Amino acid sequence: MGGYLFILPLLLWLAATILYPLFSAIALSMQDIRIIGTAGAFVGLDNYVRILGSESFWQAFGRSVVWVVGNAAVQTLAAFTAALILNQKFPGQQFARIWIILSWIVPTVVVVIIWRWLLSSSGVVNFILITIGLTGEPIGFFSASTSAAASVILINAWRWFPFMAVTLLAALQSIPGELYEAAAVDGATAVQRFWRITLPLLQPVLFVLGLVGTLLSFNVFDVIWLLTGGGPSNATTTLPVLIYDTAFTRYRLSQAAAISVLSGLALLLFALLFIRFMAPKQEEES
Amino acid sequence: MIRRMRNRVFLAFGVFVLLFIIIAPFYYVITSSFKAPQEIIARTPTLIPQSFTLQHYEKLFRSSNFPIYLINSLIVASGAMLICVALSTPAAYGLYRLRLPGGKLLFRVILVTYAFPGVLLLIPLYGMLSQLGLIDRLSALIVINVTFTAPFAVWMLRAFFTTIPPELEEAAALDGATRLQALLRIVLPLSAPGVASVAIFAFITSWTEYMFASVLILSDANRTLPVGLAGIIGQYQVDWGLLLAGATVTMLPVLILFSLVGRNFVEGLTAGAVK
Repeated sequence: MGGYLFILPLLLWLAATILYPLFSAIALSMQDIRIIGTAGAFVGLDNYVRILGSESFWQAFGRSVVWVVGNAAVQTLAAFTAALILNQKFPGQQFARIWIILSWIVPTVVVVIIWRWLLSSSGVVNFILITIGLTGEPIGFFSASTSAAASVILINAWRWFPFMAVTLLAALQSIPGELYEAAAVDGATAVQRFWRITLPLLQPVLFVLGLVGTLLSFNVFDVIWLLTGGGPSNATTTLPVLIYDTAFTRYRLSQAAAISVLSGLALLLFALLFIRFMAPKQEEES
Repeated sequence: MIRRMRNRVFLAFGVFVLLFIIIAPFYYVITSSFKAPQEIIARTPTLIPQSFTLQHYEKLFRSSNFPIYLINSLIVASGAMLICVALSTPAAYGLYRLRLPGGKLLFRVILVTYAFPGVLLLIPLYGMLSQLGLIDRLSALIVINVTFTAPFAVWMLRAFFTTIPPELEEAAALDGATRLQALLRIVLPLSAPGVASVAIFAFITSWTEYMFASVLILSDANRTLPVGLAGIIGQYQVDWGLLLAGATVTMLPVLILFSLVGRNFVEGLTAGAVK
């Protein structure tokens, strides 16, 4: 029984800093607190009624969906390409396999400074676009709604795809080489080998990446906030930005708590559906 | 023959593009932080610096609060790293080595906390820490960072702990060693690369954290690097030289730590998902 003592400190810590706040979020969401430290009255489900009837919540919800799907699409494509390249033999392979995750390990604020600078009106990206004649005027990447949303998605994908790539690479390397050799002997093309061998064997990893990646990608706040502040005209205000903005620039703490609870329920529903329909169909090893 | 050559060329091209996408922005930012201001804002960008100056670094350290932010970040990241290792190593030992009934369930619980989106806890944690009088304290940031790094640390340690043969501990038990002694004397030394990777993961993640640091810290004297640097971005006139120097110094500790344990780090990151 002493064995549990090894795990207990961590469990207590997580209970105090995740489980307890989770319940207190529900309690906060049923009051009318504006600024923390001030007293609030119990208002029942008023905040929920107001939020579910507000346009800004549903717009942010939609943007979060676009954000998550956009990131998933770009990152999956980039990560698969990167993993298949890194899985080959070439000089400097060790270096490349490790340093590819550079963009993932540096602080977000560094990522933000890099891309704000590269994409600024006098920045190198605009210089290249003008030089090759794609545009006459410098493009304000963050000043129009669509280009701002696309830019933040691409920048976040740039930051995250290497993490997905090294995970996929590790999974690729765990596939026995004999399978490919046997398939090659049977005359299977590279494309057939990818669809028939690689993809099915990667399914467990893809399932984990799909589930965890979606939750982590939903959670991204700092990249968006520091690049656009949620603008222009709220075009990049996803749910995390809305929560932050509601609590700390508009001082509606209880409403922000209610948005958090609703977002949590939406994610829970997603996770349950994802597990129900996407879980690899094979007997569980124990 | 020709086909093989063609594949080689494709591969070389792919490797080049991949590394270029990731590394070129860093090269450009770091080298530009040493360029004179007129070169930084020159209409035609220079790939190889034409001038050399340390003036941006001088300004950063002499006439901004950057040194204070740097020290605060060091305190937060080191504190979170120590507590994270102290909590996650015994937990990982208990989960992967002791075969406790219900261990698998506990493991799943910890995994769920890892994937749990922290932004949903922003408001209640802010409320809770303010009730405890921890607003504007670095200790609040240490608490938060441990919460968001420890679950993944447990997950990373799995790869390192499960490879140690159980016979070693059995032998130690026969010699009368307690479980704690077995952990400290046998398992820990053998999984030192894993513990180092976890420590560095916790350090880097805490070093990077922006969201909680931006709301829990009120005074400039207690700001950490990401928030302090973000404050410089927001100033009315953008001083790119200063920002590039700030970005370079901010990523420097990360680059140094990563170059020390890069390989083990990447292994630890990915092994959990594969095995």
